[in-house]
Formats: sequence, structure tokens, C-alpha cells
Amino acid sequence: MLSYNEKIRHIAKKILAEGKVEIVIGYRRGTLPMINEPCFIKHPEDVTRLIWDRHCGINLTNYLTQRKERIGIIAKGCDSRNIITHIIENKIKREQLVIIGVPCKGMIDRHKIASQFEEEIQKVKEDGDKIVVTGGGIEKIWKLSDVLQENCIICTHRNPVIYDELVAEPVAEQKDVNRYEDIRRIERLSPAEKAEFFDDLLASCIRCYACRNVCPLCYCDTCFVDGSQPQWVGKSQDPTDIRTFHFLRAFHCAGRCTDCGSCERACPMGIKVRTLTKKLEKDCLELFNWEAGIDLEQRPPLTTYNPNDPDDTFR
Amino acid sequence: MEYMGIEPGRIHFSWISSAEATKFVDVVNEVTSTVKALGPRKSFVKTPLTTAKNKAA
Amino acid sequence: MSDWEPKIISFLCNWCSYGAADLAGVGRLEYPPNIRVIRVPCTGRVSPMLILTALREGADGVWVSG
Repeated sequence: MLSYNEKIRHIAKKILAEGKVEIVIGYRRGTLPMINEPCFIKHPEDVTRLIWDRHCGINLTNYLTQRKERIGIIAKGCDSRNIITHIIENKIKREQLVIIGVPCKGMIDRHKIASQFEEEIQKVKEDGDKIVVTGGGIEKIWKLSDVLQENCIICTHRNPVIYDELVAEPVAEQKDVNRYEDIRRIERLSPAEKAEFFDDLLASCIRCYACRNVCPLCYCDTCFVDGSQPQWVGKSQDPTDIRTFHFLRAFHCAGRCTDCGSCERACPMGIKVRTLTKKLEKDCLELFNWEAGIDLEQRPPLTTYNPNDPDDTFR
Repeated sequence: MEYMGIEPGRIHFSWISSAEATKFVDVVNEVTSTVKALGPRKSFVKTPLTTAKNKAA
Repeated sequence: MSDWEPKIISFLCNWCSYGAADLAGVGRLEYPPNIRVIRVPCTGRVSPMLILTALREGADGVWVSG
């Protein structure tokens, strides 16, 4: 995947120089290992700042919302699905975009690696299908496939769904992935066990709202947790307030979430936020046969009515 | 909602036309009896700080 | 708790179930007094937020009816 670098820079330089776009949104190396930053390139000579490796987990679609200029954007499979969702929701126009598609083999889960080190991690190097991590004088080596993000392990859309330029040949999609095993396990619990499960899951939440800020779906001007008239959710650390925030955020993403894993990646406490959004994603797939961000033409299930829609919950 | 630990039967949805007073009464009866059978709700209630403190003391 | 009675918050549509409740009253039909009716202009207004808020504030059940 490291070899994508040259190609990405080449395409970015080309579209900037030709004046097709005014800005290219991509990734640059972050100040800390394993956290790449978004990067906005306006001049063709700056493209060398763009990089691509296994730490480009941020979903860049987040930076498209309501922009007016013509934009080149680097998109993995999940990002491209979010771009489609953005276009469907009129947050950006297709004509404004030059999408640089990147076939993706999964991003590295920084929580998984950080939890194996007592001290700060100083260096991370990719070497074939291995990853070498150094921190506190210790060196550890993993197979790449063992330290991928949870959502990447079960990803079925590694290749961009929509793109104008592709930096490499599409990679093979994963088949026969058991996407919802963990969700089914929770569904089998009794109501009391479920309540307890979510108590534990969300117990460490500090309500920094990083999951919301990083989410490309959360673009409301005023989020329901920030409003005070009416105040929907208490601002305290009360467990009920914390749960309300997480449950409702998940509901707001219903039928839109592409399981890009940004929320989980951003969480400083390592909470598995996707446990909630994934349930709704599963329901959308099972009830409405809907996967978000696949088709520009199809309307999302929550904005359409079909007489055959399941209505078992009604009487 | 069930997924997050609210018992099924706590939340009901129905569709009643304004002419269906009898159906309305039926549904009220049904909703009340299912909720009654479940008993008072334990999870997801916001406890005011004062009562929580009293309990702790 | 033998004398416990559930509190059920019901969101009723102005045009449908609220009308039905009205008709039930006019018709002198009897039903349990456990429901606390909130009239909404349309059940489309009822979001998960409202349901969660009701539960959070201590309702034992929620009933949404269009």
C-alpha cells in the first residue's frame, strides 16, 4: 500500500495544475505515530506532503460538508460510500468533486497496538505484511492482519464505490464475512443483561464528543447534545445522559452509517461505539435490504415508503 | 430500543383511526396490562443526585 | 408493591388516536387511567428522542399511536 504514495501525488498534482480542482483533501503524517492528519493542498508544489499508509483511518468526507469550491478528495471504500451519502443529502455536489479512489486493505487499529505498550509508542514501520512497532525501548512485531481495525476485518467494500481516478487496481473484496456475529450475541441477551452490557460498554465515556465530531454524518449546525432550549440531554456524567447521547447518536445515523469506524478510532477511551451503529446498520440490511452509500439514485429507507415495509411492531 | 436493554412490551406502536374508539380502548387495555406485568422499570431511569446520595448514605 | 400502577406516556396523533380517545370519552367507554396522553400534531413528530426522554424521566411504558 505504501506504493500508492507516488500515484496519489501524481494525480493530485495533475488535477491541481490543470485547474480541475482548487483544493485537494488528503492525509499527511501526524505529529504522533499511527495518527495521520487531514491535509489541504492548494498548490501543485505542495503535493509531496500527501502520504498514504495504514494509518489513514480518518474519514475525509467530514471535510466536504457544504463546501463551495471544487475539491479533489482521497477516498477509501468507506469514504466513497460516505461521499455518496453526502451527495444524496445535498451536502456537496457530484460536479464539485474529483474523487481519487484508493483500494484499501484495512487500517491499523491504534488502540490494539497502544494497549500492548506501557510507554508511548515512538516508531511504527510497515514491512511487507508485518508491522514493527517500537516504544519504550521495546520492539514488537505483528502480522498486519492481526492488528486491523474491527470494521476493516469485516469490511465488504474495500474498493471505492464511486471515483474519478483510481490509484491502483481494485483489491479483492472479502467474501463470506460474518459481519454481525457480535451484534447477534448481544441480541440474545435478556433485557437486564443488555442494560448491564451497555452500562459497562459506556461506563468510561467522558463525553468529549470525539465520536460525533469525527463522524461524516454528524454535520448538524447544532447537535441535540449542545442545544439548551429545549435541553434534550443532561450535560452531566450521569450514566443515563451518557447512554441517551450514544443511543440517539446511533439513531441519527440509522440507514446512513457506512461502518467506516471513525468513531471507534477517535474515541480516546477505546469504547466500542460501533456496537450501537452496527445494530442499526444490520436492521437496515435485514428489514429494508439497504446498505448506505452504494447507489446515487436510490433513496434511503427512512425517506421512502413501500407498502411491503415490515410493520410487525405495529398493531 | 430492545437492543439497548428496554424490555419488549415497554414500548408500543399502534395505528388507530379516529373512528375506532373501541380499538382505542382495546389497545389501552393491552398496553396497560403488558406494562403492568413487566413491573416498575429499573434500567435507564435518571436518578436525581439527591436521591442517589441518600441511597449511598 | 401491590398498589403499584404503571405510568404510561402515550403520544397520540391529533387526527387519529386522539380523535379515537375523544370518541371513547363521548361514547363513555371505560379504559385504564394509567395512560398520560400527549397530543402531537402527527406521530411523524415522535422521534426516538421523545421516547427516550419519557423513559429517562421515569415512565414505565411508552405508547405511540397514529
